[in-house]
Amino acid sequence: MKRLILAMIAACLALLPVMSSAGGFDPAEVAGTTLNVYNWGEYVDMEVIRDFEKEYNVRVNYKTFESNEYLWLQLQSEDAWDVVVPSDYMIERLIAAKKLQPIDKNIVDNLDQLAEGVKNQAYDPDNTYSVPYFWQTMGIVYDTTKIPEEEMEAQGWNAFQNEAYAGHAYMYDSSRDAFMIAEKALGYSANTTDENEINAAYEWLRNMHRTLKPSYVTDEVIDSMAEGLKWMALVYSGDAAYILGENEDMSYCVPSQGTNIAVDAMVIPANAKNPKLANLFIRYMLDYEASKANSLEVGYASANARVLEELSGAGGEYEDNAAYLPRSGYELDEVYVDLPADWQSRQPDLWTKVMAE
Amino acid sequence: MKSFVRMSYPYLLWIALFIVAPMIMILLYAVTRSGSGTITFSFTLDNFGRFLSDTTFLKVLWTSLRIALLTTVFCILIGYPAALFIANLPEKRQTLMVLLLTLPMWINMLLKTYAWRGILMNFDLESEIKVFIGMVYDFLPYMILQIHTAIAKLDRNLIVASYDLGANRWKTFLKVTLPLSVPGIISGITLVFLPAVSSFVIPKLLGGGNYVLIGNLIETYFLVAGDWNFGSAISLIMALIIIASMYLTKRLDRSAVEE
Amino acid sequence: MENRKSPWRFFSSGYLILVLLFIYLPIGYVMLFSFNDSKSMISFSGFSLRWYEAMFENREMLESIYYTVVVALIATAVSTVVGTVAAIGLSKARPLLRSIALEINNLPVLNPDIVTAISLMLLFLSAKIQRSIVTLTLAHITFCIPYVILSIMPKLRQLDDNVAEAALDLGASPRQALTKVIIPQIYPAILSGALIAFSMSFDDFVISFFTAGVDVQNISMYVYSMKRFNPSVNALSALIVVAVTIILVLANLIPALRERKNKKEEYQE
Repeated sequence: MKRLILAMIAACLALLPVMSSAGGFDPAEVAGTTLNVYNWGEYVDMEVIRDFEKEYNVRVNYKTFESNEYLWLQLQSEDAWDVVVPSDYMIERLIAAKKLQPIDKNIVDNLDQLAEGVKNQAYDPDNTYSVPYFWQTMGIVYDTTKIPEEEMEAQGWNAFQNEAYAGHAYMYDSSRDAFMIAEKALGYSANTTDENEINAAYEWLRNMHRTLKPSYVTDEVIDSMAEGLKWMALVYSGDAAYILGENEDMSYCVPSQGTNIAVDAMVIPANAKNPKLANLFIRYMLDYEASKANSLEVGYASANARVLEELSGAGGEYEDNAAYLPRSGYELDEVYVDLPADWQSRQPDLWTKVMAE
Repeated sequence: MKSFVRMSYPYLLWIALFIVAPMIMILLYAVTRSGSGTITFSFTLDNFGRFLSDTTFLKVLWTSLRIALLTTVFCILIGYPAALFIANLPEKRQTLMVLLLTLPMWINMLLKTYAWRGILMNFDLESEIKVFIGMVYDFLPYMILQIHTAIAKLDRNLIVASYDLGANRWKTFLKVTLPLSVPGIISGITLVFLPAVSSFVIPKLLGGGNYVLIGNLIETYFLVAGDWNFGSAISLIMALIIIASMYLTKRLDRSAVEE
Repeated sequence: MENRKSPWRFFSSGYLILVLLFIYLPIGYVMLFSFNDSKSMISFSGFSLRWYEAMFENREMLESIYYTVVVALIATAVSTVVGTVAAIGLSKARPLLRSIALEINNLPVLNPDIVTAISLMLLFLSAKIQRSIVTLTLAHITFCIPYVILSIMPKLRQLDDNVAEAALDLGASPRQALTKVIIPQIYPAILSGALIAFSMSFDDFVISFFTAGVDVQNISMYVYSMKRFNPSVNALSALIVVAVTIILVLANLIPALRERKNKKEEYQE
């Protein structure tokens, strides 16, 4: 298998000698090497990866994971990934644990293409370690034939306390997001560690469990809402954009009480074996062409300003899609901060008790 | 014959390395305090106390046991007649049936569950019924195959003798076939009940997310909460319950055979 | 028991057909939806081969199925050999050693996968062993051996020790006694143990996830990490069903044919 691949690479090398250069860096240096990429499942247009391989005569070993916490555990080992795509708070934790190496900005010379909404976030103020890939807000997808728009907009997160929707709601099974909506509904910060506020949020969630009787789901909510199985669901905007594209009755509400802005960004682990190619890859993924292809394929909001504008603007693929473009610059919206260690375990503990009650 | 004993040594080394050593690590986590990643040696039984003193956790445990138990019962009720009927088929048909029962085991469990989810969407059923359909579906072939093996091994002469002695079909079944197939039922229970206790993917996908089971708990505390000490303690409690229930079924097995 | 046609016989055939329908319903469903025109797993909107095309273009998926099969084959081969040899050895060991070893052997069967997975990961991490396809295979062998032993042990208990003793008394070497006397008698149990081992390895997700390194991803890991359902997996499963059917049919046909041939030869002699 390996020998075959090497032979193929050698053949490619002979055929494609001239490459575009990046930041004075000679791409011939990386030709024939392998890049280990670890991304979320179904989160890319594979054509883009294939094109990258052709352009630089390399092989991308592309693998997928399904949660930040799994990723964190994987990165505790000696495994040498070259590019991984964690979310904001996990990047903060990885930086603090000295698990990342800085981006080489001589190679990644296109950071000016980043959209305003994702640039220089608090978890990595100068984008020293991370280059945003997709970003999103959390909100409520709902069936407009069951819940009128004004009714939903007026309630915001409090829809999750409304007895009238009992049995017709999906709740995302994620302790961090569950506490976020409770805290926002109560007017607190999504990053609070205040004992009283956490307890109030806990009571709010218990009340939700009793009155709304939601079904607790993870990614299967995307297909379920596209099928229109329930009236409302807590989802991220990228998934909502997909659902809205599949089902005309669905609409998307980002509550005025404020929400979470989540950024998934490309980082290079400290023990990466092929950091040069990793930087080239990040540059390639951020560029207009790749960003556009990925965003079209997946439905998440691009981190590339031009793509974002084009796809959501007049004539764009997502012009009429209420969920594609994340709300930005809204005062009450927050990016998650990595919680102190004791809260990292307490929130899931409380959340489990809510669900099991 | 003694020379054969030596043949087990490589295996004993293997289990010492890959089963005993890792389990000791889990045990160490369970009886120590905090700090994921490194083991800090301050002995405590708090992790066990925390589980046993919390009604939510006990409720989760009870739900898991109840679902596993009912799944096992349904599997026996549906599987036993099937195994019996298969054993009465001509030999070639038996092989075919065994083949047909083995084949579905090779298809990814998650995928079969997705398929059930699609099928059951079309019916308005209680989520609990959906969960049992999915669970019984997943484990039924194991139960049928185990019971079938036991029945197929039976000495036909015993049954013929029973008829000769004037027993009818029903009586022969109750007095001869059933008692002698108990070992098959027991090994079927082992293959169904044990994995059923810790399964959580099927209840999650088919139960519409209305179940928190012990498997979810272990996963949550290890992965999301990063509380390996508590996660280990829950794992041990569960292992103890399972070992105890296996011990009980073995006792039942023995007393049934003695009768 | 009796060959005459009776309502009872009618009932039993009907029952078995119902059980088979139940067992094949979702598999048929997967195969049907592998030809679905849309992404839905709930409504069938039209016939198309797009998911088959997508599957064959999906290098990651094809690689993962390749690794799944390779790991399952190695794990099955090693665990069948080690398990068979160990079971025979244990059956002759002192009762105390035997019962302790068998209790430990049961642990991976009793333990939830996640516990086995985490405990093995802890082992590899603390021994500073880089995770790779090697650790993945070691882990698979570890959880496959118990099933092989569980499958062989009952058969060994039924064996008459005297036969092997007699072979030894008649001058057979232990190796001959093993290969000519014991193994042929437990052969069906070894085969069924190997089949269980293969299907366990083939289907495993949790243990693989925690013991594999950057170089390998099996098909379950691929399926579980899908954020949205990719129907190419239906196409893949449909092909697996067809492949497994062919393999199983061949596996059963060849011995049957050989037997028939042997019988014919015997008859001719």
